[in-house]
Amino acid sequence: MLALQLIVDGILLGGMYILIAQSLNLVFGVMGVVNLAHGTFITMAGLFTFWFATHTHLNPLLAIPLVFGGMLVIGAIVERLLLEPLAKTGRRAELLSLIVTFGLSYVLIQVTLFVWGSQFVSLPDFQSTWTIGGLTFSEARIVAGAFAAAISGGLYVWLNHTASGKALLATSQSQIGAATCGIDVRSMRLIAFAVGSALAATAGALLILVLPLAAQSADTLTILAFVIVAVGGLGDYKGAAVAALLLGLIQSAAGYYLGGDIESIVPYVLLILVMLVRPQGFGRVIGAR
Amino acid sequence: MLNALGKILALFVALALLTISAGTARAANGPIVIGASISNTGAFAVDAAYALQGMQLAVADANAHGGWLGRQVELKYYDDKSDPGTAVLLYTKLITDDKVDLVVGPYSSAISQAIAPLINKYQVATIEPESSLPDIYVAGNEWNFQGIAASTTYLDDLLPIAKEHGARTVAVLALKSAFALACYSARINQAKSLGMRVVYETTYTLPQPDFSSVALAVKNANPDVVLGCTYYPDAVGITQALHGIGFSPKFLAETIAPAEAQFTKTLGPLANRVVSNTSWWPSLKTAGNTEFIASYRAKFHDNPDYHAAANYSAIQVLGAAVKATKSLDQAKIRDWLLHNRVETVQGAFKVDQNGAETAFKQYLFQIQNGASKLIWPKKGAEAQLVFPYTGS
Repeated sequence: MLALQLIVDGILLGGMYILIAQSLNLVFGVMGVVNLAHGTFITMAGLFTFWFATHTHLNPLLAIPLVFGGMLVIGAIVERLLLEPLAKTGRRAELLSLIVTFGLSYVLIQVTLFVWGSQFVSLPDFQSTWTIGGLTFSEARIVAGAFAAAISGGLYVWLNHTASGKALLATSQSQIGAATCGIDVRSMRLIAFAVGSALAATAGALLILVLPLAAQSADTLTILAFVIVAVGGLGDYKGAAVAALLLGLIQSAAGYYLGGDIESIVPYVLLILVMLVRPQGFGRVIGAR
Repeated sequence: MLNALGKILALFVALALLTISAGTARAANGPIVIGASISNTGAFAVDAAYALQGMQLAVADANAHGGWLGRQVELKYYDDKSDPGTAVLLYTKLITDDKVDLVVGPYSSAISQAIAPLINKYQVATIEPESSLPDIYVAGNEWNFQGIAASTTYLDDLLPIAKEHGARTVAVLALKSAFALACYSARINQAKSLGMRVVYETTYTLPQPDFSSVALAVKNANPDVVLGCTYYPDAVGITQALHGIGFSPKFLAETIAPAEAQFTKTLGPLANRVVSNTSWWPSLKTAGNTEFIASYRAKFHDNPDYHAAANYSAIQVLGAAVKATKSLDQAKIRDWLLHNRVETVQGAFKVDQNGAETAFKQYLFQIQNGASKLIWPKKGAEAQLVFPYTGS
């Protein structure tokens, strides 16, 4: 029963990690941009959700359409104004995009501090626990996990079974090849960044139900997302989902058997091991894609 | 030619002397500047906000009463981002560049520990109102003065009371920080000396995105008391995780966070019956406490907590030393602090020969239906301890 509970906890934690990482992966896959403002998007949306729920006394999940729509627009503006001009710089584009998104992250963290202060906050919603067959489930984590599954499923269907998704996938595999086939690569980059930003915001709206967030959480979330994406294979959506679940399971076991200290270093140990053994990530090794 | 050179040289010397004397005159008539770094951002920001407000209020009150030595008092502070390395740079700047007259320590033991060698190096008598770590106040650190009760006394009244009520087993969790580890070791040793069994103990680092597996380990150990030597984010995370895994110990006690109103707002019913400790309370009959609370509410439209009181007290003590010695001479202030007792809103300030606090007391409070009630000591208690913790 203990092992089963650890597996359940690990999967639910992994679900949270999928939420954090998947949108970063989408942006990297299509644009080749490691968005260092990714964690800031998540945090801003989380803090907005906190503000929304405490001021309107409405269900915090109702904030999801707002943050999704808002960040879709903001993401599109950021891509067009800050990132698209870099596409013309050739090989320097990746490095320049790191600098631009780092700067953006810094500015947005200061804006977040100005608007919401630096307090860690979390919402007292979905705090029920359910016990089924001796296993305990946290309602907030189930909600977050269900959304993670829905988002991953939706992303899979979109990318593999719709024309726009296939165009996006083709762009992620080869921008030149996609352009040759008549795909508007510039629009694909815009769509990828806008949707990636909106998904990051959705993650933030759900994370605030599960753990305390503050403006300064942004960097940690970016690093964690990057570790998951790197372990799964940069741009490999299924690989990242598997990496997130694996990380959740390992951390769950490590936290139980070895304590909190070891649990917190697991992601970085895993990253080092994967980089040593298989720098391209293990997603394709396990046939995830 | 030599005569002309001599005149130019004399002019330069005269100008230099004028500049120096003008500067001295400005310093002597200008405000007395107190320098500090504070964690405006980072992991300690919630509690440190109260600390800063305590200092700001103390300075305002000092000025409302004519200042010190006939001069106004000014607070100069920078954000250390809850980072010891940043604080070291900021205190160096405050002492060497800004040339502040007096210094108050930063938020948290870890950051106070980082700046302690600097304080000794520059020989500035510094009161550290958020440094509960006893390790700093030892021979060789003679310029550092503890401005709050030692971390080894945090929650020290809880275990004997819990034992009286039948508790026999304890789990102790702590953040890996200077303050929390001192608290952690002290409570484990205390539990053992009381004949209680420590069935689970662990430390962790921040940021920790998840406490569920640690909570599961606690649940499996099934302790009567769960005691967390915590700051704000981890106290919230642990409380949520224990509930998430469906475990409610007979007693749940955590340091620091429950004193903040945000803790109850964030956790809602999960905060009910959580026990914590404080070195200050509104109902205490300490010198000037009623006026302190009234002026804090008027200035900040909020209730003070013990961080506000500790930092207010630190500036009260510095003011007493400056007025008594009629000086800003650091050696005189240090000597005076070592040998005198000062009544503050936090109680009596008195240190031993190494600057360790010896007079401040600790109290226990419990969150009961959304309100914090003093439960210990019995004399002056506003309510009785209610248990078990139910998480609802």
